[in-house]
Amino acid sequence: MNESRQAGSGSGRELGLSRCPRFIAGREVMFDNEGFLWTVDDWNEELAVELAAEAGLTPLTDVHWRVLRFQRQYYHENGRAPLNRQLAQGTEMPLLELNCLFPGGIRRGARRIAGLPNPKTCM
Amino acid sequence: MTERPLAYLDNAATSFPKVAAVLRRMVEIYEACGVSPGRGGYDLAMEASELVAAAREKLARFFGAPDPERVVFAANASDALNLAIQGWVRPGDHVVATRLEHNSVLRPLHHLHERDGVGYDLVPFGDSGRVDVADVAAALRPTTRLAIICHGSSVLGTVQPVAEIAGACAERGVPLLVDAAQTAGQVPVDIGAWGAAAIAFTGHKALLGPSGVGGLVLSPAFEPASTRFGGTGIDSQSLVHTQAFPHRLEVGTLNLLGVIGLCEGLDHLERQGVAIAHQREVGLARRLRDGLVQLPGVDVLSPPLADGDLPIVTCNVGDVPSDDVGAILDADYSIAVRTGQHCAPMVHASLGTSEVGAVRFSLGIATTEEHIDRALEAMSAIADSC
Repeated sequence: MNESRQAGSGSGRELGLSRCPRFIAGREVMFDNEGFLWTVDDWNEELAVELAAEAGLTPLTDVHWRVLRFQRQYYHENGRAPLNRQLAQGTEMPLLELNCLFPGGIRRGARRIAGLPNPKTCM
Repeated sequence: MTERPLAYLDNAATSFPKVAAVLRRMVEIYEACGVSPGRGGYDLAMEASELVAAAREKLARFFGAPDPERVVFAANASDALNLAIQGWVRPGDHVVATRLEHNSVLRPLHHLHERDGVGYDLVPFGDSGRVDVADVAAALRPTTRLAIICHGSSVLGTVQPVAEIAGACAERGVPLLVDAAQTAGQVPVDIGAWGAAAIAFTGHKALLGPSGVGGLVLSPAFEPASTRFGGTGIDSQSLVHTQAFPHRLEVGTLNLLGVIGLCEGLDHLERQGVAIAHQREVGLARRLRDGLVQLPGVDVLSPPLADGDLPIVTCNVGDVPSDDVGAILDADYSIAVRTGQHCAPMVHASLGTSEVGAVRFSLGIATTEEHIDRALEAMSAIADSC
């Protein structure tokens, strides 16, 4: 079947992120529709534990916390997430290893649980 | 892990590293002659105008166009496609394109659909990554104003049978606009031999120029209207925008630095030999694809490469999101690739990869065998980790 847009008919799929409020870790927190925190400052360690548990990751080990805390610290100091090489250097592990460490991988796992903004890549 | 020199495998986005000799020559000429072409009557302005005229002639020859005045400069292929589509399609018209198109075609069509009630059909592609000429012909209607074809897919690397498609369109009196963003500089692009109405190209990919310059090559019979208006250096007393080509579609001072760089890039490519460079890159791409197919857990999405296809291989690894694969390749292996949907959402919808995207390796003039070996080593490690 051909994809067809007939003259005069409506069309269009909305792109972009929408707000999704949730009650988690004892409070209401705003997320986007991909599960990333809407506001970076809403993050705390209790929230990270809850998000990790939802992803099947319990408990968070020292290695997990090292990754999460590095991302938070880097974001706080630089106003953006670490680049790929900076993430590998800062966590002292190859990204292949980091990818396996978090369910969902680097972006939807480590970055999301650390409460960093959705990178909004070309997906 | 010791950091290795970058293996740049994102040439479908832009060629890199830029050829140093091209950049040097571009700057040298611009330093000597970087005034406004086509405006002042002083000698240097005339010399700048001659540079632009020579560039139009060079590009007309390269694209098989009879009239250099119908080589219109634009910012890039997207810009050129907008000039053609918006300058030709009228409210209520019908357009035929394909599911292989880039957003540079899909979004103007969507815009015209929303604003002017333009209808359009997107012809599907088959497992071979190619559209069937009969399907294109069947989609053409009496009200079809324009057909558009993505010559080379930036996702799959497949090159379409444009001559046959142009023939089918010509039989029905429908002009064909060819998006040659990926193919110009890789494979022959010949508006005269094809009988196409227009070709949109960019300068910064396989033509080895800088970003910010591209163009639209028009056949003698295809005359899009102006969609933007301003200074052309001609008929300044008139409030009507100059209607002679190329000025009808050009506005304001040209990107002279880009035009010079585009010509220098083309010269460099022709010295290397377009066919020789293409053959080498496709050979490397085949080696990459053959290696990836052997890796358990790697799903190669792009079909086997024919001789005239582009050096592009697209794949996924298990359920690892494509952007995570790209991050691993970058940080751990110094390999730059493009992930996601590649601004071609209909291709990914057809492949079933809209949610996860895909990893695209696109090779170029600077790609080496070591880059391919490294890519295979990396993809093997990622696949093993799943």
